[in-house]
Amino acid sequence: MNTTLSAILLLSVPGYPLLLAFPALRSRSPWPCHIALLPAVILLAVPAAFSVDLPWLLFGSGLAVGERSRWLLAMAVVLWGAAATLLRAPANQPESNHLTTFFLLTLAGSLGAILATDLVGFFTFSTLMGYGFYGLLVNGGEMAAQRAGRIYLALLILADLALFEALLIVAAVTDDLSFGAVHQAVAPSASLNLYLSMVLIGFALKAGIWPLHFWLLPAFRSARPAAALLLGGVPIATGLLGAVHWLPLGEISSPGLGLALQWLGVGAMLHAIVAGRMQGQLKMLPAYAAIFATGLFITALGAGLADSAAGSRYGDLAYLFIVSLGFGLAVLTVGIGWLAARSPDAVAPAKRAGDPAPWFERWPGAVVRWGAQMGSDTLPRLRASWLATAGRLWQTRAWQSALDGGERSLQRWAFAITLLLLLGVAVAFIGALS
Amino acid sequence: MSWDTGMPLLVLASSLLPGLVIFFLPEERIVTRTTLNLAGATLKLALVGVMIWGALYGHHYETRLPILPGLDLVLRADPLSILFVALSSILWLVTTIYAIGYLEGSPNRSRFFGFFSLCVTATVGVALAGNLITFLLFYELLTLVTYPLIVHRGTEVARRAGRTYLIYTIAGGTLLLLGTVWLYTLAGSLDFTARGFLSGLGGAHHTALVIIFVLLIGGLGVKAALIPLHGWLPQAMVAPAPVSALLHAVAVVKAGAFGIMRVVYDVYGIQFAATLGVTLPLAIVAAVTIIYGSMRALFQDDLKRRLAFSTVSQVAYIVLGIAIVGPVATIGGLVHLVHQGVMKITLFFCAGNLAETLGIHKVSEMNGVGRRMPWTMAAFTIGTFGMIGAPPLAGFISKWYLGVGALDGGQGWVVFILAGSSLLNAGYFLPILYAAWFKAPPDSWPAERSFGRRETAWALLAPPVVTALLTLAAGLLASAPFSPLQWARFITTLEYAL
Repeated sequence: MNTTLSAILLLSVPGYPLLLAFPALRSRSPWPCHIALLPAVILLAVPAAFSVDLPWLLFGSGLAVGERSRWLLAMAVVLWGAAATLLRAPANQPESNHLTTFFLLTLAGSLGAILATDLVGFFTFSTLMGYGFYGLLVNGGEMAAQRAGRIYLALLILADLALFEALLIVAAVTDDLSFGAVHQAVAPSASLNLYLSMVLIGFALKAGIWPLHFWLLPAFRSARPAAALLLGGVPIATGLLGAVHWLPLGEISSPGLGLALQWLGVGAMLHAIVAGRMQGQLKMLPAYAAIFATGLFITALGAGLADSAAGSRYGDLAYLFIVSLGFGLAVLTVGIGWLAARSPDAVAPAKRAGDPAPWFERWPGAVVRWGAQMGSDTLPRLRASWLATAGRLWQTRAWQSALDGGERSLQRWAFAITLLLLLGVAVAFIGALS
Repeated sequence: MSWDTGMPLLVLASSLLPGLVIFFLPEERIVTRTTLNLAGATLKLALVGVMIWGALYGHHYETRLPILPGLDLVLRADPLSILFVALSSILWLVTTIYAIGYLEGSPNRSRFFGFFSLCVTATVGVALAGNLITFLLFYELLTLVTYPLIVHRGTEVARRAGRTYLIYTIAGGTLLLLGTVWLYTLAGSLDFTARGFLSGLGGAHHTALVIIFVLLIGGLGVKAALIPLHGWLPQAMVAPAPVSALLHAVAVVKAGAFGIMRVVYDVYGIQFAATLGVTLPLAIVAAVTIIYGSMRALFQDDLKRRLAFSTVSQVAYIVLGIAIVGPVATIGGLVHLVHQGVMKITLFFCAGNLAETLGIHKVSEMNGVGRRMPWTMAAFTIGTFGMIGAPPLAGFISKWYLGVGALDGGQGWVVFILAGSSLLNAGYFLPILYAAWFKAPPDSWPAERSFGRRETAWALLAPPVVTALLTLAAGLLASAPFSPLQWARFITTLEYAL
């Protein structure tokens, strides 16, 4: 295929949805969410591997499609096409325009991450995907959706910070940020362990891997059909893909880390089985299936990191696994949705009164309340007064007032302080001259 | 006078002369005033473009006018000055368009635009200054011509803010003057020189040089809003939005940060400054300012006040980039001089739009405003994500170079400062975006003005959209020729003799 044509095609896969995300540019387009997939469909239809270098983009970037990414792209096209069909804002609500925008932004980020050939490109697209997906989760949703969105956003920011730190570590050892070059450069680096930790934490948060899966359950519980369908194939799949791309699999043998990951993976699978059974809601089955599957993934990843020979083989399998996971979770979500339409009580029993916060939001509050209670009843008064003062400080933000007061004092005395400074300087000046 | 010697004067005159003429124009001469404003801003931009082109082809633009025996007023277009003068020229044109729309129908416009032009003249003088005495003259001129802009509305709050501004900046200017005079007595020269001109002074003078450094940075730190010298900046946000934009992005705080660059790189020389042991304390002051400014921004309900504290934090990134000794961090500091300007001006334009169109001044009034003003809030969103450092926007490039520079320079603690600051930035910016895009709008806005089918006037809408696009382009096309990043790299090769 002609180089220019292939470059245009590759660029338009994430670029076209990005353009359509502007409401003014899609106002006359009949099915913008479907049409946005057109370049990706054409790319899939061309049976060749090609790439484009973009030296002017960011720190020098690129896009490519090969045998592995073609599978991921195919999964993305199918899932996004189905989600576009399901995408509807609730009746009589003005959110549909916003929802379409977030949908297209997430789509652009998701497709771009599949085609990215370097760390910064992947980071950029996955960040776009993350913020877009936050919009998909919360837009026009109820309290539970907003809570899910809030948790997802907080963890997304933390994940991006961890990955940014990993990027800085890499940039300190190499200028070439393409995946292959980074693997070779970072493997012998003294900062390898820190890099691996940041990458694993970052992508575990992004993909919702146990025990950092805080956003996963609220998201599955509250997501609308289109977003629920995409949960496996977009944020989870992109997180797992990121781990495969960023970790120097096949370049290092780290038995300690590998074993730890394998145990973590086993823990995740056990957690999914036990917690899933205790939970008992069929609606939450895809969420626990996701925890189980990502646990399996982490176990295999641990094996790949423990032995460089296994790591080399692991690469191909990982892509197939991600594709299967995306499709599997989507099928499960659709199936349960269909079941819910036939018998709602079987899928999600009636909600408890109110809107229970997740444990990690409830527990700190409970601990503080317990402490306050204990302090005033049985423990020395000092603790009670500390707790009360801490609560009051937080409520009134007294420390902000203190800072305000400090600044006002400085301003009031600015002239006097300056004169004093000048006097000191003049003395020093005269001293220096003499 | 040849073309090369006259060029810096022409660049200065392109805003000075229209400014002086505008002072004497009657209020009702709107077309003449607007034409003069736009012609001056466009001409300056064109002249700066020619200057950049000429500098690339080996032209050496320098004007030297004797003012005292042994002391010249020197205006010179070196790569560092070109970076700042290009930034101020581009943003002045955009701000002029915005100010024309913003002040439509309000009184005292001739006075406003007169001082506005003088303010830019002083900024360009600061940028082109070839020695410390020329820098000082324009730096003080900047103080004087900005004061009338801050008190333009004539309210008690504005007058009080103006008074505070004067006290802080004149005190800072005095410190700067003292440092400059003392330096002249020691070194006998004040000409900015790549890699500095003080390293030849003997060890006996080192204590004096450290004290002079403290004086100079103390004087410049007032305008750069380093804590505890930042108190004037949050107060000065009572000024009209175009003035805030000018103060925070183009002129005053940038003059301070640029001055610190000049002192560290072209007076002391970065290696000599590190030898004297003054760079680490400067880095610590910058780091504390970054965190303090962000924490103060976190709980401000007044939108412009939140942005003002954000400026305190963000400008300190530039100083941090200077103080981490190393070429990569220098690139980060230099490029953030441009990037912060473009991002922050976008935010202030948007804040002005919200105030002028809907009467919104507080974050708590911004619920659902994204539906009423989508273009303004889209620009605001790009600006805030840029500030947070999200890729591929301008702020990401700055933070990248600062972070890599810190690791390169063996100062890993800076990476934690950057991470903490990004977290705090997200903490005070994202709730605004959530309220604007996801919360339901109120039944009525505090003071809505109708602009027909448009969300606001064109003159108010186009500038933030343009600067938001620049924020995107500066990040996305960072590796393209003539990007701010490439120019910053070029300056760094000179400062470190790479």
